Amino acid sequence: MLTYSLLAGLLFGLYFSLIGLGLNLIFGVMRIVNLAHGDFLMLGAFLAFWLFTLFAVNPVPAVAIAFAVFVAAGLPLYYLLVPRLLRAKDPEMLSFILFFGLSQVIEAVTTIAFGTSERSIPGDQLGRAVAAVVSVFTGHKAETGPVELLGQTFPAAWVVSGIVSGAAVLLIYVYLYRTRLGYLTRAVMDNREEAIATGIDVQRISAVAFGIGLGLAAAAGVFAPFMLGSITPAMGGEITVTSFAVIVIGSLGNPLGTVFGGVIYGISYMLMQSYYSSWANLLPYVLLIAILLLRPSGLLGRQVRRA
Amino acid sequence: MIRLSIFALLVMSAATIGAQAADAPAEIKLGTLYASSGRYASISMPVHYGLKLWIDQKNAEGGVYVKAFDKRIPLKLVAYDDQSSTATAATLYNQLITQDKVDILIADSGSVLTSVAVPIARDHKMLLIDQTGTGAAFFTPDNPYIVLMADPVSSIWPKPLTDFLTHDGPGLGIKRIAMLYATNDFTGTQANSIRKFITESNSGIEFVFDQGVPTETSNYTVLLNNIRASNPDAVLHLGYASNDIAFLRNVQDSGIKFKFLFSIYPGIETELLERNLGGKALNYVFTYVTSADLAYKAEFGMSLKEYSDAWHKKYADAHVEFGFNAIAGYTTGLVLEKALGVAPSLDQLELRKAIFSLSGGLKTLDGTFELDANGGQIGELTPIGQFVPDEGDKPKLVTVWPHELAGGKPIYPRP
Repeated sequence: MLTYSLLAGLLFGLYFSLIGLGLNLIFGVMRIVNLAHGDFLMLGAFLAFWLFTLFAVNPVPAVAIAFAVFVAAGLPLYYLLVPRLLRAKDPEMLSFILFFGLSQVIEAVTTIAFGTSERSIPGDQLGRAVAAVVSVFTGHKAETGPVELLGQTFPAAWVVSGIVSGAAVLLIYVYLYRTRLGYLTRAVMDNREEAIATGIDVQRISAVAFGIGLGLAAAAGVFAPFMLGSITPAMGGEITVTSFAVIVIGSLGNPLGTVFGGVIYGISYMLMQSYYSSWANLLPYVLLIAILLLRPSGLLGRQVRRA
Repeated sequence: MIRLSIFALLVMSAATIGAQAADAPAEIKLGTLYASSGRYASISMPVHYGLKLWIDQKNAEGGVYVKAFDKRIPLKLVAYDDQSSTATAATLYNQLITQDKVDILIADSGSVLTSVAVPIARDHKMLLIDQTGTGAAFFTPDNPYIVLMADPVSSIWPKPLTDFLTHDGPGLGIKRIAMLYATNDFTGTQANSIRKFITESNSGIEFVFDQGVPTETSNYTVLLNNIRASNPDAVLHLGYASNDIAFLRNVQDSGIKFKFLFSIYPGIETELLERNLGGKALNYVFTYVTSADLAYKAEFGMSLKEYSDAWHKKYADAHVEFGFNAIAGYTTGLVLEKALGVAPSLDQLELRKAIFSLSGGLKTLDGTFELDANGGQIGELTPIGQFVPDEGDKPKLVTVWPHELAGGKPIYPRP
């Protein structure tokens, strides 16, 4: 029971790392809180649902499609909303209001388009993707059912989402630490004013980061029907709160801290479900309060706020 | 002298009739809430649409007959969106009573959103027309301001399930039960009742797993592993529609095949669950058989087929599935229609008396409307059924309990 809870927590936590990554990237670069983050995840989920229902597109390629679509959508959205916001006296506080409004609009429009009921993608779809990959490497037909991991059996969707989340974290790491755009992004994260002074095109860097942030949320959304049971237009708010807890646990503004926060959240959640199930949903709030009291800068301890 | 007396009598009668007509309101205000978003939207919107369908039908006929004024009076629906939030719902229930001054107060669907209306209605001495809020704690001898319309009260709802388990279970080999439930008034009460009925039955059945989870739970993989480790003969999962979708999906994805699996919503919102899980996920699942599957002989209002046709015609593009909750909203309307037809005034306690007078005698597409002394619904009980695959491998619900209604034998253990 303990081993299963720990492994399940690791996979679940990796998924929440993916969810929190985009939110933290946007906060790190722009110092704004995207309260519509969960709604962009929900839109990614509905995109995958729509692609599957209308064109039978498997969720695995849908991850790449969702990422590309939302990066592309994020760029104009950035120029529409964020530069004006950043010119305000208190952009951090105003971002709460702006993105809360955006969240409401997104939820309302999605409700009109898709209705209020739960929607989902058949659970075996990710299993089929795993089986197809295994077949390519082994040369014989593979089972589409659950996957065995270190002697424990998990739904294929969990393993695929864990792998994709791990890969996304790795790619973000490579982007931030091994590409020119990444260096510039980190420079902006470190000190926006100094970055402007050194001639960095901060708007362009921020727009790309904003787009990637939304793309990551949408990519995480593709796995939502598998990891969170089903999707509804109203799911965004809860996701935003949990992902906010995850990034605060890791460290606000530090994308790699998000991985740490996600894994701690995932493992703690699964242990709570095993041993004190009635209280499991209190966990993000308890962790959030504990971190804010004991280590306000997050577990990785990078001070990002300038009071 | 006699002529004069007759003339005086006629004048008085005319004056009385005139006064009555003048007193009659231009419309009867029905106040209700619905959740167009959030966790309870999928159980709230069908109920709301069912009620609206009844109102539109009655208004098309010129209104509903109100005995208190001896005439048909149009209905006006005052409805607000609580977005599945109990805090918002509490404010809006107050608004319906104090600002809109509705004649009839109708709760939103489900126990969670009804729970906040119970004390508010009681404080304002308004009769709460409780559509589907089945929590047993709502119905107490000291509160005359509530009646349950369309679902059995949760304290007796699971009785057919526990009767089946305690009578047929041991013979089938069911001795060890695992129960997982969402901790809210609806399923929490059902879990308590199941525990009580099974313990009192002395059938030798024991609980090997008995845990509650928050209603917001959307992931059951670890819990399923723990249930499997307890090696149960039967698994009972009690939750709302979103809980059942997540739970059954996790069962399917984990490749676990419990010998016996009971879940509430496959029978209540079959269309919704099939849409989310695919038909095969429901095969061999036990559930409540509701009036959406059992075509009760309706002595008042539309039959199941007529209502289903009317629903699908009216709400073809509404993205709201037809199921037991859709029937519940319409049933609420039918009960109100009958009650307004016999109530001598719109006084709240007179209305309650009128609704109680229908108990045991009103038969709608939802079965026999019957109330206990506290206003809890005890007539519209749901038998137990099991989904079995038909020739096309599609799930078909077969009633297995009670025996007199059974259309087949339970398949245990599941293949």
